[in-house]
Amino acid sequence: MTETFQNLWLGFATALTPANLFYALMGCLIGTMVGVLPGVGPLAGISLLLPTTFGLDPTGGLILLCGVYYGAMYGGSTTSILMRIPGEAASVMTCIDGYAMAQKGRAGPALFISAFGSYIAGTLSVIGLMFLAPPLARFALGFGPPEYFSLLAMGLIVLGYMTGGSMVKNLAMIALGLLCGMIGIDHMSGYFRFSYGVAALGDGIGVVPVAVGLFGIAEILSTAGQEKRPEVIKPKLRDLLPSREEFRDALKPIGRGTILGFFIGIIPGSAHIISTFVSYAVERRLSKHPEKFGRGAIEGVAAPESANNAASEGALVPMLALGVPTGPIPAVLLAALMVHGINPGPLFIKEQPVIFWGLIASMYIGNFVLLLLNLPLVGLFVNFLRIPYKILYPMILMFCMVGVYAVNTSYVDVAIMSVMGMLGYLLRKFDYETAPIVLGVVIAPIIEMSFRQALAMSGGKYSIFIQRPISALFLAGAFLMIILALRPLIKKGIDWGWRSQLTKAEKGD
Amino acid sequence: MIKWRWLWAILLGIDGLIGNFGIAFADYPTRPITMVVPFPPGGVADLTARPLAAALEPILKQPVAVVNKSGAGGAVGMQFVAVAKPDGYTLLLALSSISVMPEVDKLFGRPQTYKREDFVPIALLNADPTVLAIRKEAPWKSVADFVADAKKRPGEIKYSSSGMYGTLHVAMEMFAHAAGIKLRHIPTQGGGPALTALLGGHVDAFAVGPSVIASQLKAGTVRVLACWGAKRLASMPDIPTFIELGYKDVEFYIWAGLFAPKATPPEIVKILREATKKAAHSAEFKNAMDKLNTPIYYLDGPDFQKFWDEDAARLARAIRNIGKVE
Amino acid sequence: MSIDRVSGLALLGIAIFVAVESRVLPFGTHSRPGPAYLPFILALFLGAMSLILIFYPKKDSLSIKQLSWREGRHALAILACCFFGTFAIEQLGYRITMIIILGFLFAVLERMKIWWALLWTLGLALGSFWVFDSLLKVPLPRGGLGI
Repeated sequence: MTETFQNLWLGFATALTPANLFYALMGCLIGTMVGVLPGVGPLAGISLLLPTTFGLDPTGGLILLCGVYYGAMYGGSTTSILMRIPGEAASVMTCIDGYAMAQKGRAGPALFISAFGSYIAGTLSVIGLMFLAPPLARFALGFGPPEYFSLLAMGLIVLGYMTGGSMVKNLAMIALGLLCGMIGIDHMSGYFRFSYGVAALGDGIGVVPVAVGLFGIAEILSTAGQEKRPEVIKPKLRDLLPSREEFRDALKPIGRGTILGFFIGIIPGSAHIISTFVSYAVERRLSKHPEKFGRGAIEGVAAPESANNAASEGALVPMLALGVPTGPIPAVLLAALMVHGINPGPLFIKEQPVIFWGLIASMYIGNFVLLLLNLPLVGLFVNFLRIPYKILYPMILMFCMVGVYAVNTSYVDVAIMSVMGMLGYLLRKFDYETAPIVLGVVIAPIIEMSFRQALAMSGGKYSIFIQRPISALFLAGAFLMIILALRPLIKKGIDWGWRSQLTKAEKGD
Repeated sequence: MIKWRWLWAILLGIDGLIGNFGIAFADYPTRPITMVVPFPPGGVADLTARPLAAALEPILKQPVAVVNKSGAGGAVGMQFVAVAKPDGYTLLLALSSISVMPEVDKLFGRPQTYKREDFVPIALLNADPTVLAIRKEAPWKSVADFVADAKKRPGEIKYSSSGMYGTLHVAMEMFAHAAGIKLRHIPTQGGGPALTALLGGHVDAFAVGPSVIASQLKAGTVRVLACWGAKRLASMPDIPTFIELGYKDVEFYIWAGLFAPKATPPEIVKILREATKKAAHSAEFKNAMDKLNTPIYYLDGPDFQKFWDEDAARLARAIRNIGKVE
Repeated sequence: MSIDRVSGLALLGIAIFVAVESRVLPFGTHSRPGPAYLPFILALFLGAMSLILIFYPKKDSLSIKQLSWREGRHALAILACCFFGTFAIEQLGYRITMIIILGFLFAVLERMKIWWALLWTLGLALGSFWVFDSLLKVPLPRGGLGI
């Protein structure tokens, strides 16, 4: 324990040097900006800055890139709340209740709670990272294909609870999203599916154009032609802060979101967006007023925002503790280290204490800096809503187009965004939830691949899903959820059967 | 009255002539050059391209910009350069997968996104042979143990790879075919997940580039049984090669090379070859490659073409042996 | 016809399309699923959901005649801009494409005063180009005319 604190002291000494402080600040600023811009997400930001870090020392370079990474998670909620456009893919869930709150004039509290929740989640996750990195990483490695599949299957069932609306419709949207996610090359067999010869579709349609299209573009399409835009009341300072009740309501979701997000984040290969969906669904299930969700429940903002910050830091655990890249972003971070001749592996923490503890300390500082950065900006951002919509929406359209294009410099992405925008507009007209499609696109490759990998591992036997304890646990959970969901139906069925017997009996007499 | 439209057309025509016939190529290069890397930033190709570009700039006296055009395993970027204007201002830094994809397309009977013949090789920069990595708890002490075990229980030993027909898959199957054993292939979505699968014990072995596995080897979490090179690796001198162990023709390299579109004028190709030769031998490039644990293996254009053809033939044979799964 | 029924029909169409399209790919066996396995199963599932929507629509869902398409014309114009942008962004270059799109939206669709529209159009198009191209170093296309 004391050794940890000694190391932390060393870390702070490193992180508080003027150069490293500057890099942390720069990283956070750029990250926030990158997060706010729709389409361009942390991966794009980090990739752009990667060459710049070649000339810096490894600690500074890593601090800079990590600053961008978790900074983007703070910024992503801003556009989600103000304009229902996900700043980056993981902020999709915040769009739902966050925007609803903004429409009720509570944009300030939403932004505040989201920044606050992100700070708590970020800081607690760094503590987790600090103490638990090596054992957690080894635990995470134990997650193989069967565990992934069962976990995601359970996640999908949980998602069926997401909105009060028709469960049938939600399930249809999940299926649609999963199908969209299967476009592209099938890694298990080498066949191209549904890509019709377009090389750019070979990798699939990507979650960024889908998220920006379904939420951002669809929002513009639905609202631009409306004759009357709701007047945004000039917020008083009081209105910028959450009420005591809102604050109280948000605390437990922040805690739960943090834990959930962190553990989902450490699993190699899981996407941050999964943590936001799961935490949202969990909050909705646990809430005493589930009908509030979708209409501006503060829990629906606090939980996903905390979850995605926790997940982004959790994803660093296997990377730092074992040198294993768990996703595209940690892979770039690893590359940034490799270029300096440092090869992170299981001995990284022991061999490079300066870098590791410097990074840890810098993350504490960075999260705090971002909190200070984002809170005063709440007032500024809320005023942004007062720009007349007829000027605002072409601006939003432009940012969406350039943001989506910039990710891969591919016009195909812009085409996908446009098609998804049209789809999102129609779906909203016909009263469907569009968030499950985004989740489906993200989950499809993982869940399908895990399923087929697991079967390949077991030689075709389905028992592997039940034989492995963690996987069996998740499947049991999924089964339980299905039973719970069907309970009202079963009750109704029994009721109905009973009643029809009664009626028959009456008639018979 | 001067017909401005005519004048404009004539000027455009002259400009086109100059551009196409490269009257200016005596002064090549006169504007910035684009080096396309068909993979996302941070990968092997990217980390080789950037120091190379930096080393080329003072030699060519023009900025050399690295542009990532990733997608479809590299096919998007490679196709982009295959059809780019062959004026020497668009280059490609590709990995050995450039030879694999047209073969796989042929196997599946689908139109090839590009062909090897669409490119002229300028220089080979590095060529790491893959190595066979197993978990430290595994019972095999040598390749002979491994092969004997595989013969006893065919199709039971699992190995991970970076994807169907990916480099790690083809390498492993090349060995399996030569040894006459059957292994069970578990594809994953990339090199990282393949490593994770081994470390987590979900598979028993895999083929991997030495620089990737170096830190795990040092920490003792994995062991290496053999390497796919023609000669032993300088960084792992105790590891035998498959050829030494009697498996002929089992050679596999993860290499990176610089290419240009086929129709690039030979004078420009010559300038690029000279420049790359100087850049590859420069101190900065060597420094960068040392830091990445990747030794430089330089071959000039014509030698590279020979290497490439041989390597491609080996890969094509291996892919045909794998055939279509299902 | 309720909206549930109409959308259910559309989803059914999609499900059938996917099922048919995935027949070219190998289905595999239950112990070795092929590339068509999961898409086909999902198509069946989607089809089942859409049939439920068609035959058991929610009683309180709107009828298709009750849908308001008031913003439809606007939406169509914006969508046209999106698709135009998709193809123009690399052919005409980013700045020209944005000037055309923003100019159209501000001046034609929103009927702003011409000089005000021009100000916003040029400001946003050139400003965003500067932010992305020069500041963030994301190469934005310069189109055939080199602009």
